[in-house]
Order: sequence, then C-alpha cells, then structure tokens
Amino acid sequence: MARSWLEYRSPAWVQWCPGCGNYGILTAAFKAFAELDLDPAKTVVVSGIGCSSRIPYYINVTGVHTIHGRPIPVATGIKLANPHLTVLVMSGDGDLLGIGAAHFVALGRRNVDLTVVMHDNAVYGLTKGQAGPTLPAWVQTKALRAPNIQDALNPLLLAIASGYTFVARAYAYHVDKLKEIMKEAIKHRGAAFIDVLQPCPTYNNVMTQQWYEQRIYYIDEQEPDYDATIKSPEERGEKTARAIAKAMEWGDRIPLGVIYRDLTKEPFDARIEKIMPGYLEHPPATRPVHYEGKPLVDPFKVFTDRVVQA
Amino acid sequence: MVDLALLIGGPQGGGIESAGQIGVRALVMKGYDIFGVREYHSNIIGAHSYFNIRIRDTVARSPRLPVDAVVALDAESVFTHMDDVREGGIFVYDTSTLKTRVDRIAPMPGPLKERVKAKLSQHGLGDTVADAIKYLESRGAKLLGIDLKSAIKEVAEKSGRPVVSVARAANVVGLSAALAFLGVEKEYVHRAIEAYFAGKTRVIEPNKIAADIAYDYVKEAYGLGNLPDGPHKGKVRMVASGNDVVAMGKVVGGLTVQTYYPITPAADEALYMEGHRLVEVREELAEKVGLEKLGVAVIQTEDEISAINMAIGAALAGARSATTTSGPGFSLMNEAISMAYIMEAPVVITIWQRAGPSTGMATRTGQQDLLHAMFAGHGDAVKIVVASGDHEEAFYDAIKALNWAEKFQIPVVHLVDKTLAASTKSLDKFDLDSITIDRGKFSYEWSDGEYLRYKLTEDGISPRVPVGFAKQLNSSLEHTEYGYAIEDPEVRNAMVEKRLRKLEAIEKGIPEDERVKVYGSSNSDITIISWGTVKGPVLDAMEKLEGEGIKVRYVHIKTFIPFPVKTIDEVFKSASRIAVVDYNMLAQTSLAIRMFTGHKAPHVIQKFTGRALQEQEIVRAVKEILENNVERVVVSDGA
Repeated sequence: MARSWLEYRSPAWVQWCPGCGNYGILTAAFKAFAELDLDPAKTVVVSGIGCSSRIPYYINVTGVHTIHGRPIPVATGIKLANPHLTVLVMSGDGDLLGIGAAHFVALGRRNVDLTVVMHDNAVYGLTKGQAGPTLPAWVQTKALRAPNIQDALNPLLLAIASGYTFVARAYAYHVDKLKEIMKEAIKHRGAAFIDVLQPCPTYNNVMTQQWYEQRIYYIDEQEPDYDATIKSPEERGEKTARAIAKAMEWGDRIPLGVIYRDLTKEPFDARIEKIMPGYLEHPPATRPVHYEGKPLVDPFKVFTDRVVQA
Repeated sequence: MVDLALLIGGPQGGGIESAGQIGVRALVMKGYDIFGVREYHSNIIGAHSYFNIRIRDTVARSPRLPVDAVVALDAESVFTHMDDVREGGIFVYDTSTLKTRVDRIAPMPGPLKERVKAKLSQHGLGDTVADAIKYLESRGAKLLGIDLKSAIKEVAEKSGRPVVSVARAANVVGLSAALAFLGVEKEYVHRAIEAYFAGKTRVIEPNKIAADIAYDYVKEAYGLGNLPDGPHKGKVRMVASGNDVVAMGKVVGGLTVQTYYPITPAADEALYMEGHRLVEVREELAEKVGLEKLGVAVIQTEDEISAINMAIGAALAGARSATTTSGPGFSLMNEAISMAYIMEAPVVITIWQRAGPSTGMATRTGQQDLLHAMFAGHGDAVKIVVASGDHEEAFYDAIKALNWAEKFQIPVVHLVDKTLAASTKSLDKFDLDSITIDRGKFSYEWSDGEYLRYKLTEDGISPRVPVGFAKQLNSSLEHTEYGYAIEDPEVRNAMVEKRLRKLEAIEKGIPEDERVKVYGSSNSDITIISWGTVKGPVLDAMEKLEGEGIKVRYVHIKTFIPFPVKTIDEVFKSASRIAVVDYNMLAQTSLAIRMFTGHKAPHVIQKFTGRALQEQEIVRAVKEILENNVERVVVSDGA
C-alpha cells in the first residue's frame, strides 16, 4: 500500500450530523482509495446536491460539486473527455433516482466506466426530511405531515434493467465490507452501482440502524454458491433472472454484496474507440486542437462533400 | 446584372430538399452566387415544402418574391404559389393534376384553401389546377406544363426500373425543365446530380434520365435560355447550409466534444459533425502535432439537461466542448448555465432559434430567444452572447465562441436561427490565416504548489489546469480560491468581485468592431438596427432602395453581451430616423437597446410568421416608415 488512507482526508470540517451514515461511506472511500493507491489528481469524485453531495469537499482527491440531479452527466463528460481518469459519482437517492433518474438510466445504457455510490437514506435530509424515492409507501418518517403515498423504487432492479454491469448493495456502518465492494466496483470496467443503505439518524426514524441490522445479511456469507456473474452472453438470461430475484428480496431479509455482474458488455470508451479509432490514445481532453494558435483542419480538405468545382 | 430567383415546391418526402440542393449545385457550377432557403412543415411526408433559390452574379444573401421561375411539383404547390411568380416569369406545373380541386388536397391548410378559392372566384374562375393555370396566364406567367406521370413512366422504361422506385425523380424533371428554360447547360445538371448523390449509382442514373427528358422537351418545345456563365466560373467553392458551417467552424476551431439531444433545427449540425468525426490534419501541420487524424466525440444524450452538463464535464476535463439546441432545449439548460458560470467552465451553447412560444412552429424561424439567451441562468449568472448574420459569420463566430469561452472561462451562447440552419449558400475559401485558436490561461502543467482553481487574479481569470492534471475542487457553491464551499461574507465579496473583474476583462477583450458592424454611411435617410439573418435581406434592400434614391444605413449587432453601447449610442445621437427589425412579438432587440443605452427606437419592423425575411419586405417597410412615419410595420411574406 503506497498511500495511507489519512492522505485522502481533506482539511475541511465535515458538516454531517453525528451518527450519519455518510461518515461510514466517507471512511470506506478513504480506505478503498488508499488500498487501490489512487492518484488524487487523477481520481475525480462528482456529486450532486444534498447532505451526501458535500463529500467532494471531504476527500482529498479532485472533486466536482455539481447541481441537483446532474452529477452523472457531468461525470460522464469528464470520463468522455479523459477516459484515463478514475471517476466516481457519490450522491443521494433523491439526487440520483428522483430528480436525476433519466441520467441514472442513461448511464446504464452507455455502460460508462464510472462508479456510482448511492447514499441511500430514503429521505431528503438537507431540506429536512421529505420522502426520498426509496422510502416505502405508507411509511411516515418524523418530518412527513402524512404517510408516504408514493411507492419506493427498487434501485437494484432499475440498475439491472438500465444496463449497469456491476450492481451491489452495501451498508454504510459496515465500513470494511463497503470498502471491499467499493474497490471491486472501481476496478470493474463499466458502469458500476452500489446502493449503500444508510441510516439518517436525524430524519429517518423508521429505517434506523437497528431496523437495518435486524434485516441485512451478506450473500457471500450465507449463500457462498450465489453466482450472478455473466461471463458469456449465453448466461445472460439465467443469471439476470437470478440477480433480479435476489434484488427483489426486501423486508425481513435484505441481501448485501455483489448482486449482479456482466463481464460481456463493452464499456462506453471501447464503443467510441470502435467508431472513432484513436480516441483512447488521443482523447478529447488531451488531443491537440491547434499548432501555435493555428487551426489544424482545412475545411475545404475535410468537408469535401460540400465542395463544388464551378 | 443577373439577379434571379427560382422556387421549387412540392410535398415533403417528394425530394424538395434534393431538388433544391441539385439546383443550387448546378447554378454554382454555372458560376453564380447562390442563397437558397427551405421552408417546411413539422412533418415527414405530405405537407407542403419549398426551396427558394436566389441566383446573382454579385452576392446572393436573401430570398425574394416574386420569383422568376416556379416549379410546382404538385397541385398544392400550384395553388400555394400562384401569386409568387413575377409577370413574364416561368411557371412549371404537372399537367396530370389539371383536374385536381383545391378541396381535394388533404394536407393543405383550410384557411389557405379558402383564400385560394376566393382569389380564383374574384377572377371568375373555378377551383381546379386548370383554373389556377388560367389565373397564372392572366397574370402574364409563361406556363410550362409537363406530364410528370408520363415522364416518370419514361424514366422507368429507360432505366429498366419499376415506376415506384423512380417516382421521386419527378423533382428532377421539374427542376431540369426550369434550369433548361433559364439556360443552365445539361452538363451542369448532370454534374450536380452526381455531386449531390455522390457515389449512389442506382439513384444517379434514373435522375440523369429524368433530367434529360425534361431538358430535351423544353429545348424542343420552347428553346433553351441563354444565361451566360457567372463570374465565379472556374473557382473551387463550397455549397453548405448554416448547420453545416457551424459544425465546420467548431471542428476547425478545435472542438473535441459536442453533445446534443435531437431537436429541430439543431440536430442537423450535430449529425453533420458526427459524419465528420474523424478529420484529417492539414498536411503541413500533421508532422508538427504528430497526428494525421483528429477525432470529435459527438454524443447524443438523454435530454438537453444531460447535454449541457456533459459538455460542462468535458470542459472541466480539458476538452473544447459545445452543445447545440433550440429554444425548448435551451430552457432545460438554464440551471446548468448558472453552474457553468460559477464553476468558470468554458462551454459553448449554439441556439438555433425557431418560432415559439413553447413548441410553437418547430420548423419555422424567428429571433425570439434573444432575451432568453441574455438572461438565462439564475442568480446573477452571466455569459457572452454572440449572434451570426450569415454563413461566413457563423463559421468564424463558432471559432470565436470557443476562444472566448476558454479565454474568459465563461459560457458563450452562439445565437443562430432556422433561416440560417435551412439555407444553403455558395461560399469561397475561408481565410485560415486569419484564424487564431486561443485557449487563454489553459495549461496541462502545474508545478507551483497547491493548485487554486479560483485563484484571485487582477483580471478575474484564474489559471486553468484541467481535472486530471492537478488536484482541485470545482464547485457550484460559493467557494474559496481552492474550491471549498464557503459562505463567509468577505470571501463571498472577493469572489463576486473576481467574477466582476472578469466581466471587465470581457469588456476590454472584445473590441467594438467585433460587437457591431455598420454598413452604409451616416448620411442616410434611415438607419436600420438589427442582427442575425436579418442582415441579408437588409443589405439587399439597401441596394434596391439606393437605386430608388433612398439611402439606408444598417447597424448589425454581433454581440449582445458585451453590448456595443458606444456605437448604438452614437447612432441614436446622430441618425435622423431609426428602425429596428425585430423578428419577435416583444421587440426584444429594441428592449435590449433601451436597457443598455437608454434609447428608445421610434420604429420597429416585425415579422412573426416564422418564414425567412425577404428583401422586398424591408424595401416596403422602409418606404412605409419614410412616407407615412408609421411606428410599427408588420411584414408577412412567404407561404
């Protein structure tokens, strides 16, 4: 290990409430980054808006704090311009699956080599506790004026349906387990999604630490034979069905760990390389755009379909 | 002097675009300068569409009515354009439609049918194509009837292909007849067909046969015209749409990422660029940069919100990036524009304006997004707004916009419109030596200790090292020099002042002659102020009016932010009479002028129909203002 995890701590004051699940996710990130020896300049954490989206200020790597719901397109733009960077989206369930759901789906379709870490506390913390997209119907957390009348979305099912090629669930207070999943997600070539269940001790008085810890179990511990890793296209039907069944477990038992992995799909950068050879070697961020201020392209030589000899 | 106009009309999906493009190419090969604009419905098949081509030996830059020749490929076109040909002009029509009645034409708008019937009835005529032809005869048009059905059968026989597969060549039959009548040699028509359908032999052959049938028929029945070769004969030129030239400008300007969500009339720009995503490096520079080909990543996104945010992300990582859209898409981009401003992310947004409000008339033109572009983005967000008046300007402005975005680390809106998008222009070689690519304070290297993305500097512009090359924070929240979120009053003030200094740098960095161009002398009877594609019709109207003893000066605004306050102020202080041409209901240009200079324009010329502004409309409006001192003139020519 070349770097200590302490190197990834930023000097900023962390503004989360005491006991917030975000602390566990933050610590797991420090440790995962350290164990993977990630270069702070070449590692980019992109967030949206909400409590969890303050995280770029707290991790001593490159950070981009965007606007509500849009970290995925911004992160995609960064990765598109420079496919050699390690890019993570770290944001909340409201940000990613409420206001930003269209982008969450689109990322799966593109299979961009990004890691999405969703801080899933089922409430909008920073605006004081409204229902998030993962809060089950008829639950009334303490800030709600009436029980929630909108159904919860299943983030894992949505991720699988959208085309993510790495789908996992973790628990914020189990830092070492989360760290291991995070490392695997970062190493995965393609769109990786981790739904991190996270108590909000301030606003979610229903899905508390105790509530979660009575229900969660680790797939790799209790079902060591579970295999939903697609290694060839022929396996897709069977293993996707298995993963979907696992992703639908909720209630008394909540599975944690890697639910689904598809090693057969090309990531976005490889697809672009196919239609635009040279992309990976000279990506948009670094390819020359001029020579001593002079343009590199002569339109009459390049746009010949528009040239006419009079 | 040669100054002709040719209109080709027919059903959408009937090859109107290709007929127009072939016609334009043949006329450019003949040596003329060409401007052709296409008017069309938001429809794939069946609705009426037409291409209006201006042909001049000087410079062609606007459509005009009446035209010298109409090619009506179907009954609807005969009725729609029966007043659009000048006395003595040619009207080509399909004799197999003579019995068709106005009311039988399903796609034709009801109110237009009523107007046509009323007009024909005023002249004691019925409501068939034959009646419309009689009306045209009475107006002094030279009629040229061709049986398109028989012509297509002949094409099928001669090419050995089924009738259905060559039916679309009816467009070339009509076009070729008109070109023969004008006196464009058959050779050019053939070459234009080959150029337009480049390499598609199965399409080229029947079209050439179709051209010959019409050409030979006209030659025998009426005799060929005798149009001399134009002054550009022998030159290598380009024939490109506004969509094309903006894509070209961006690629020449070093764009490396373009995002877009499909929208009319912006998508064609992105599609043209995508078709040219791998471009060759100029021979003389290939060795110097060590590359023979360059890529431009053109990405279709899930919506315009994603398009702008992805472009911003790419810019943060060091790409030269842009997105392209129209009014509705730009509405969705508003929040991110504000982010780009506080994040100091250089991004270019091309807005192809169309006729609103809302979806309005999606394939029609207008200048309704001026104030929207100027004020988009909440919370004191600022951007540069540059507008292009024609194809050449659009090419160079696309490059300028990329330069300004990076130099001032700010979003730049490039305002263009549907008229430009859908108009085809003959162009001479661009002056590559006049182009400079300026990335401002951009560098891949940082060795000066901790990198401060928002370092307070004298000119308000911080050194820019992209994400991936120095550890940094980019924040949409108010931030410290490093990028940490902060709400401290003093830091807030320092950052606001920094961004204000940047606006001063923009004020200083964009000189008056890049903000406004003045045509004509101050010793004129009237000064017209406008911007965008109003330029062509106004410059053409100036020539016309000059011939009638009326002197016009035209003040062409290029940038609205920064605004050419000095020039506009001088104009108001010196001019006797001023009219603003405003392609919108609110007279937005007049409002912008008033906001920046305090001057209220006494006259306004407006158009709302969404059709391209034409030369004769300006001629008429100027006379109306000079003769009757009318405050507001509304023009609405064009079907």
